[in-house]
Amino acid sequence: MFGVEKPLPRPSEDSAPFWENALRGELRMQRCSDCGHVRFPPALLCARCLSERSEWVRLSGRGMVYSWIVVHQSQHPAFNADVPYNVAIVELEEGPRLHTNIVGCTNDQIHIGMPVEVVFEKVNDDTALVKFRPRRA
Amino acid sequence: MGSVSGTCAIVGVGTSRFGKLQGVSAMGFTIEASKRAIEDAGIERDALDGVLVMMPAVMGEQHGWAARVAAYLGIEPTFSATMDMGGATACGSVQTAVAAIEAGYCNAVLCCFATQNWPQGVAMQLFGSEFQVPYGDVGAITLMGHIKRRQQHEYGVRDEHYGRIAVTWREHAQRNPDAQMRKAMTLDDYFRSRWVAEPLRLFDCCPNTDGGGACIVTSLERSRDLAKRPARILGAGQSHSSEMIHPTGRDAPAIGGRVAADKAFGGAGVRPGDIDVAQFYDAFTPRVIHDLIAYGFCAPADVGDFIAAGNLDFGGALPSNTAGGLISEGHLSGFGHIREAVRQLRGEAAERQIPKAELCLVTGYGGAPHEAPPTVSYSALILAR
Repeated sequence: MFGVEKPLPRPSEDSAPFWENALRGELRMQRCSDCGHVRFPPALLCARCLSERSEWVRLSGRGMVYSWIVVHQSQHPAFNADVPYNVAIVELEEGPRLHTNIVGCTNDQIHIGMPVEVVFEKVNDDTALVKFRPRRA
Repeated sequence: MGSVSGTCAIVGVGTSRFGKLQGVSAMGFTIEASKRAIEDAGIERDALDGVLVMMPAVMGEQHGWAARVAAYLGIEPTFSATMDMGGATACGSVQTAVAAIEAGYCNAVLCCFATQNWPQGVAMQLFGSEFQVPYGDVGAITLMGHIKRRQQHEYGVRDEHYGRIAVTWREHAQRNPDAQMRKAMTLDDYFRSRWVAEPLRLFDCCPNTDGGGACIVTSLERSRDLAKRPARILGAGQSHSSEMIHPTGRDAPAIGGRVAADKAFGGAGVRPGDIDVAQFYDAFTPRVIHDLIAYGFCAPADVGDFIAAGNLDFGGALPSNTAGGLISEGHLSGFGHIREAVRQLRGEAAERQIPKAELCLVTGYGGAPHEAPPTVSYSALILAR
């Protein structure tokens, strides 16, 4: 389908800091001020201890591929032109996992356990997506 | 502690027409399936005083759906709810029906559902979270691709094992005149089928199905006056958790559904080895691998060999998805599984009949795999003749 724009994040009160930091080129997540758990997705409270106190700490940006797939059959018209493209789950050194894309290599080079580091892909003046590229272990 | 106490039974099952059937509304399918379940049970319509309906997918928010289903059927229930556990709703609604009957809220409950994948007059809704959809991670299918990837990595399951499931289900569907996918299929066909979300192939996936299903639950005492042999509800269980992405961190349980299994088996007082026939919730082949492990039929390292040995076939130790499953019979969100389980226990399964079908496991799986965090619901029933 022609002219269908890719869906972009529409941040909530909870998620806005994540996306604002990404636009500045920083990967930040909430760390619980009481138990120290780093959580994702962003939320009002810590799912481990229910504390509402947290700070947005800067993460290393390093992690490894936990899983990846290659989408061959687009599930949304905005992505029809991109197939085949990868969708990965990256596990960060600090613990959380997130859905993302691996850039800077071909799909057949991706493997479970592959070391990766964060890159920020600016989509427009308001949004940068959080992606990952291979790094040396 | 069991979640049900064996006081209730499924007394009627039914499905509507199903397949690729545009132009019929979800409501139309729902009441068609419900009418057939009422007829199958031989119960008076006016005896139904509970109505539980699965929230239709695709159509978005639907206010008062269950009450509208009741109104179309001329029922004024004293207990009713629209339930939202995705593919776990079929088994979950039966469990809820038992609880409501045991609590005295009602005496006979209609559990039902239908889907029209291309509803008229309704805008399609894009599901998914801000942390997935912008990356092209859209729909339930991507999570299932990740699940297959991790199964292959962690348990050494090979593509031929997934293919064997698909081929076996297709053979079963060829004995089911209602099945949506009946054309003969070989393992070569499976390997030749295209990637959808690699490592997921087309033949790892169920078709889209327009249609509906229903069943009727009442007390064992009441069931004795009805048309058919009751399928006693011996055990039921459910559990709800996140999958792949855990807000509590990576020490979350490695395999979901174990709690649902323990509750269902514990309540029924039986073990996996006692099950004569199983209906696993199989919107995709990796679901069967998952349930074989979570429900205690195999150790993770043995699951591939268990399948390769033919245990899921008609002649095997655990004949499963005997009507073809979601993958070949069609995606009736688990109501097809309940219908088949009841038919097996009644001895009504014709050329699919398992000789000594006395105990049947039915599993359910669903929820919001496309949200952040991806959350899933597991449900199970153990039914007995």
